[in-house]
Amino acid sequence: MSFSRNTAIKKRGLGPLFLFVFPALVVIFAVSIYPVIFSLYLSFTDRTLLYLRAPRFVGFSNYSNVVSDKLFWHSLKLQLSFMVFAIPLELFIGFLGALLFLKDFPLCRLLRSLLMLPVFILPVVSGLTWRLMLQPGYGLLASFFNSVSLGPKAWLADTKYAFVTVVLQDVWRMWPFMFMIIYAGLSSLPSEYLEAAQIDGAKFWQRVFHIIVPLLRPVMTMAVLLRMIDALRIFSEVYVMTYGGPANATLLLPLYIHKQAFEFGKVAYASAASVFLLAVSLALSFYLVRASFRGEVS
Amino acid sequence: MKKAKSLRLILCLILVAVELVPIGVVITNSFKRDIDIWARGPLYLKPTLKSYRAVFENSDFRLALKNSLIVATSSMVVSVFFGSMASFGLVRFNFRLNAFLIFLILMLRMVPQITLALPFYILFRNLGLKDTVMGLTVAHTSFNLPYVIALLLPFFASIPKEYEEAARVDGCRPFSIYWRIFFPLAAPGVVVAAVFAFLMSWNEFLYALVLSGPRSKTAPIVVNAFLGQYAPLWGQLSAGATIMLIPVFAITLGFQKYIVKGLSSGGLKG
Repeated sequence: MSFSRNTAIKKRGLGPLFLFVFPALVVIFAVSIYPVIFSLYLSFTDRTLLYLRAPRFVGFSNYSNVVSDKLFWHSLKLQLSFMVFAIPLELFIGFLGALLFLKDFPLCRLLRSLLMLPVFILPVVSGLTWRLMLQPGYGLLASFFNSVSLGPKAWLADTKYAFVTVVLQDVWRMWPFMFMIIYAGLSSLPSEYLEAAQIDGAKFWQRVFHIIVPLLRPVMTMAVLLRMIDALRIFSEVYVMTYGGPANATLLLPLYIHKQAFEFGKVAYASAASVFLLAVSLALSFYLVRASFRGEVS
Repeated sequence: MKKAKSLRLILCLILVAVELVPIGVVITNSFKRDIDIWARGPLYLKPTLKSYRAVFENSDFRLALKNSLIVATSSMVVSVFFGSMASFGLVRFNFRLNAFLIFLILMLRMVPQITLALPFYILFRNLGLKDTVMGLTVAHTSFNLPYVIALLLPFFASIPKEYEEAARVDGCRPFSIYWRIFFPLAAPGVVVAAVFAFLMSWNEFLYALVLSGPRSKTAPIVVNAFLGQYAPLWGQLSAGATIMLIPVFAITLGFQKYIVKGLSSGGLKG
């Protein structure tokens, strides 16, 4: 590998690329790019989970089967409503929380760090805890709801309420994520803006809507995009809470794909559905990464 | 003004208290017996270590805890080793391809796990990696490596050029520039990347569910299995969960300064 000491960094040729970047690229290719390509290939075959015979090429028939599957559209609808309900709620609570913590008060540091705990909790533990709290008869939350006669006795066995609890679980775990990102954005805003507005006599809510919200738009856009991409990956918490049930009422898209592949053995079919999921999340992350490349967000 | 302050304090106290209820539920239930949880209602608590003893006597759980530690540590080491070199190379050497590669790596962080789980299942079976700790490590590296690279980019970019020039004048070869100068200077970033990589692997469930088996299952799988077929063993489940939460909470509270950075450089999901 040639390395001449006095040349500018830019002219050094490919030596350092091979030395530093190439090994990681090989690993990335092996563990994510190649599997994605393989999954694309699978989606055009009739491969099943058990290797019964050599897979045949079947063209787009998996894709057309996915598109004509009612359950797929049901899952897609659930996935969208999950995102439409959970993410704005998380943004809203996170934003209010950030406003509450904006000015210092005793204990504020401690309380802020305690709020971070749910974000990092194992998704499995979060899902199981909510399942425990919602057990009829001995769950804390179920007992509480029953004592104020709210909702059904067994929340997780009710098709409507099971979905509500899946959303609630996510809101509980992830609003502090929004909170932290918005709070970090808020505390890095130049204080002159707010002070100037205060001197001009702007009321609190005026300051919030005319100064804080517009200034924080890039930060909030990034947080929402991250959460959307994340929401497309939701799996374990719902798997342990409801397993997609009852009667597929919480069968979000990743659970649908998992079920098709590992319960029904339709790997090729599931690959076709997962290519769709991949396309949506790559489109979203393309948008996010492009924004961060342009320096629009931190 | 004083009144406003205490109002804020009270509101925030309520907010945090409500937010922490589920965590309190896991921890308190871990000190109950399974039978008391079913029979005595949610508010009964006579602390006992019976569930913990049962969990530690469970050889499945001990094996799973060991597997979890091995997988998380190896995936962390592999990702930090390759990732920090790549991050350094991408930031400090200007190639025409760099912008494209960075873009690609940043996007690869976002690939849904279920998309990879299907091909992994088939490929791993063919390669004999199914139900092995090594296979799980490979799977976890698929999200950890791009994450580590992305997280370290700004750390390596912020180191002044003069260090590099001085080292070159002194005759350092590229690898020594990286290893002797940049790696130590970026050490805080490397530690953060390592810790978060560990955490993401520790929390991971989907790959473990699909790719592991009796020999290689990780702790989240066993914790979930306490639900059982007939009667859920909530006490043992909570004890196992609480044990899993110890490193999570230690890391969250210990590294809170870096959390926003860690979060915004890419998702965490299991």
